Amino acid sequence: MDKETVATISYLARLRFDEDNKEKITKDLENIIEFVDQLESADTSDIEPLANPLEKTAKTRSDEITAENRKETFLENAPDSNEDYFLVPRVVE
Amino acid sequence: MSWETVIGLEVHVQLSTKTKLFSGASTGFGAEPNTQVDLVDLGLPGALPVVNKEAFYKAIRFGLATKAEINQVSMFDRKNYFYPDLPKGYQITQMEKPIVGMGSITIDVDGKEKLINITRAHLEEDAGKSIHDLFDGETGVDLNRAGTPLLEIVSEPEISNAKEAVAYFKAIHQLVTFLDICDGNMAQGSMRCDVNVSIKKAEDKELGTRAEIKNINSFKFIEKAINFEIARQIKLLEKGESVVQETRLYDSIKNETRSMRSKEAANDYRYFPEPDLLPVVILDKELEEIIEGLPELPKEKEKRFIDEHNLEVSEARILSSSKAMAELFEKASEKTKDSNLVAKWLVGDISALLNKDNISIEESKLSLENFVKLIERITDNTISGKIAKSLLEDVWETGNDVDNLIQEKGLVQIQDESVLEEIATKVIQSNEDQVAAYKSGKDRIFGFFVGQVMKETQGKANPKSVNDILKKLLG
Repeated sequence: MDKETVATISYLARLRFDEDNKEKITKDLENIIEFVDQLESADTSDIEPLANPLEKTAKTRSDEITAENRKETFLENAPDSNEDYFLVPRVVE
Repeated sequence: MSWETVIGLEVHVQLSTKTKLFSGASTGFGAEPNTQVDLVDLGLPGALPVVNKEAFYKAIRFGLATKAEINQVSMFDRKNYFYPDLPKGYQITQMEKPIVGMGSITIDVDGKEKLINITRAHLEEDAGKSIHDLFDGETGVDLNRAGTPLLEIVSEPEISNAKEAVAYFKAIHQLVTFLDICDGNMAQGSMRCDVNVSIKKAEDKELGTRAEIKNINSFKFIEKAINFEIARQIKLLEKGESVVQETRLYDSIKNETRSMRSKEAANDYRYFPEPDLLPVVILDKELEEIIEGLPELPKEKEKRFIDEHNLEVSEARILSSSKAMAELFEKASEKTKDSNLVAKWLVGDISALLNKDNISIEESKLSLENFVKLIERITDNTISGKIAKSLLEDVWETGNDVDNLIQEKGLVQIQDESVLEEIATKVIQSNEDQVAAYKSGKDRIFGFFVGQVMKETQGKANPKSVNDILKKLLG
């Protein structure tokens, strides 16, 4: 695995590593991929992909409002908010 | 060099369910910020989504109406991206097994029909709203919209120009409102679309590189954005440069599209099966119930109007153009027992007023009750057709009661023939020259007398009576 791939993956995951760690992470990632690669050797051509290990189907709800307005509680628990909104560092489009 | 444009549309339709796709929070528009939010919409750890079945039923109605395959077993996938209006850090959508497969819709451009195939339609959750310009250096987030069910309808790249794209968007708009699965309110963002535009040489088989214009929410802007984009791409290609595959935004004020993400690494959504949700199964019984409950669709309505009311195709098309228009036509016809007169007014004067104000019939002040009164006062000869026209304009502006306006303004048609005869006699006496001309064979001058009598009566005379009386008096 090259440095660039590691950089892309860490960017996508929004994780930052210092230089010492980078080497260790690269090794770890290589090991994981190697491990998963073993699965490739199994012949799965006749097998339906499994979406979920529970062979069940989804429980659903009817279209009725059950949530109450808990705006104050929710906003209080956020790292930053004002009386109406959650506040985050400015995101420029 | 002759260039060909290839366009594909992704239309996002907000489904008109009462609650969100995965939570029991309300989807109502216009509430105070962050008052319609549940734990799932906040992305709090441990809060699990539960599927709203009604969203599936609405999606299936669309699928059936576009003759699409319905996947009775469908699944959700996770699309990863970081954005504050999506607190989970991913959007739950359908990638591998969407609820609706390949279908099609017929569009109408300048009277010509064209079939556009629809690749798929899948369910996904809407994001919240970010407010950028209200707070100094910070972005405000309102999560009321987060989790609202969207049906994303993806067309095949079979649309050839801006006009067709608008026609396609209109056809989808018409269909989803007829099916009662979306309120169709464009101003509130109930329907938005992303447009993929690419250009190729006419003789080339392969498609050119496309640019995607994001989030357009009006018929007018779709047309303008596409036309700008076509011109931009052709200019690049003719200079020997190439089109960059990217996302662009349409700026309606400057009427241009511009690049949204220039240097950032290409998005990698890392889709994978959503582990928090099991496959959703639609039983045969459920499907049958939905089929039975399907309403009459625009094309079927059009055909029935032609058969039942003996209308022209062009008239029937206007009357079936929207659910509200079709309802007004049918209800008013039933009440007045004169579908031809009702059709004539709706297709003529009322459509002209709608076009002039650029609104739809449900946005106008004309009520069914008032429209029926207007038609009835014409058929019972209370008012003349001419008066009815100006009366309609009054009703259109004010929404006032037709009968009250007739009384207030003294618009009742003059029924008494002796009154008309008196006026006609006066007109004849005071226009001797014209009478002489008429008698010498200038038949055309007859209209002049009719006009004078109408003027004297301020349009309140029945034109036919006036004709008869003048003919009698002039000999």
